[in-house]
Amino acid sequence: MHDGAISTVFFYLFAASSIALALGVVLGRRLLRSAICLIGVLGSSAGLTLVLGFEFVAGIQVLVFIGGIVVMLLFAIMMTSQGHTFEQQPTLRRRVAGATVAAAFFTVTLSAYLNADFPVPTAEQLAVSHEGADEIGRKLLSNQGDGYIVPFEVISLLLLSALIGGIVIARKHAPEDEESDQDQGLANHPSDVGR
Amino acid sequence: MNLISTPLLAQADPASAGAAPSMERVPTVSERAAEALQHGIWGAAFYIVIGLVAVLIVVSVLGLVMSYIERKVAGHFQCRLGPMRVGPHGILQSLADGIKLLFKEGIEPGHGDKVIFIGAPIFSITATILLLAIVPVAPGIQVVDMNVGVVYIAAVSGIGVMGILMGGWSSDNKWSLLGAMRAGAQMISYEISLTIAILVVVMFSGTLRVSEIIESQQQGWWIWRGHGVAIVAFCLYLIASTAELNRTPFDLPEGESELTGGYHTEYSGLRFSFFFLAEFANLFVFSALATTFFLGGWLPFHIGDYEGFNRVMDILPPVISPLFWFGIKCTALIFLLMWFRWTFPRLRMDQLMRLEWKVLLPFGFANLILAATVVLTGLYFFPTAT
Repeated sequence: MHDGAISTVFFYLFAASSIALALGVVLGRRLLRSAICLIGVLGSSAGLTLVLGFEFVAGIQVLVFIGGIVVMLLFAIMMTSQGHTFEQQPTLRRRVAGATVAAAFFTVTLSAYLNADFPVPTAEQLAVSHEGADEIGRKLLSNQGDGYIVPFEVISLLLLSALIGGIVIARKHAPEDEESDQDQGLANHPSDVGR
Repeated sequence: MNLISTPLLAQADPASAGAAPSMERVPTVSERAAEALQHGIWGAAFYIVIGLVAVLIVVSVLGLVMSYIERKVAGHFQCRLGPMRVGPHGILQSLADGIKLLFKEGIEPGHGDKVIFIGAPIFSITATILLLAIVPVAPGIQVVDMNVGVVYIAAVSGIGVMGILMGGWSSDNKWSLLGAMRAGAQMISYEISLTIAILVVVMFSGTLRVSEIIESQQQGWWIWRGHGVAIVAFCLYLIASTAELNRTPFDLPEGESELTGGYHTEYSGLRFSFFFLAEFANLFVFSALATTFFLGGWLPFHIGDYEGFNRVMDILPPVISPLFWFGIKCTALIFLLMWFRWTFPRLRMDQLMRLEWKVLLPFGFANLILAATVVLTGLYFFPTAT
């Protein structure tokens, strides 16, 4: 049986790459390179989930974080920055604020880590949980005792309101102007391409 | 009815694993590797190497063959002959082009971000290779068969966008950047319709595993069995995948009259050929997935339990039959996508966005709800016992 050994090797591989790339995200001075390191970090954490045997969760992680959020980040960087964006020498106020936030987050994480009691699942529990997708679907949509239908619907309402808010912010003109706006080909302006 | 037809099907075509529940599944390459791992690490390594080499060969052969077919098809559509000089009927043309590309100088733009510039084509081709791993060609001729195959497809195809965005940005060229932004916006938008179309089939077959989706079409392909719903989903899939592939009528990212070459304007030599290979391999992958989801993958053409007809369709020997059926369906779809290219004029950017967000997406959602109704009431043709 080499299964255990191989998952251990993969665990350390993914853990090391996620730490290294996370350092790259924070310490890099070029914004786009940081964003690309972030792809690596999220990919490694999806890999860690895969080592645990949760293929569905790993797939969703890649789908949502890499395919959705990082692409949004890339778009934001490309639309806002001029040419090569280096992070300039930060002002004192930003340094203090950054350090405070980082310290606060570190304290929270550390205290959570120290106080939490991590349950280690037994081999049988892991074997059962391998049939991920349908079990997750049932739990999400069940209104029985252990179902998550109410939080699920609340979150979808939140997403809907965010979506409508986004449309309202992105809309520059009154609705009746929009048709003529599009027909004049204003979408050729770089910042309007993704609109 | 199902019980009567099942032994006959199994007798005639033992290769289609889903024919009878008693038939054992043919293991995929990754399953063989996992099994070999029980005995030693070298056996597993052997299968992993086989899988990798097979995928690499498939990528390069696809690039060679498909670029030749594309040029021939394009030629004949325009009443030309296409490539004729190198070899009989020009069949060595793409080989010659490949050798030329290998020896070309890889030029890097002076002001761009070189690391990202070099990394971008690798991202593109990686996404393609990862997608190829899950394409089921025949029982057992598949590298991985994950139980969340459809999620994997959706996740991995998102990575391809990254390569294009990175390539366009790092070229430090406004046309490249514009092309990349167009490609990114287009691919992200149409991915939603693509996924919604696939979800219809997932709902019909009740599984995310690609091989099980094929086996669920034993009685008839989903495009027939799902009444109009599956046909609408198939059309949505075709439109969305054409946009995903950046092919005409959705080839704005490289609209040569306004953007020279789009995101790969600055690329040359081997790095350009990576983008090129990824594009052609993706054409194959999306056709193969359409075959899998809507046209029954490697299964022969069956009509429910109309035994006489089914036996005629099963006439090929079991080893060749899946390859033949998969090949013929996939080739037909690839030809259809090439046909699109010479039939439809290119869309404008705002028309493209309007088509996705105001036409395809509402249709897709309505279709999904309709499909749910069909599944709940068991309305589709040849309902199986399961």
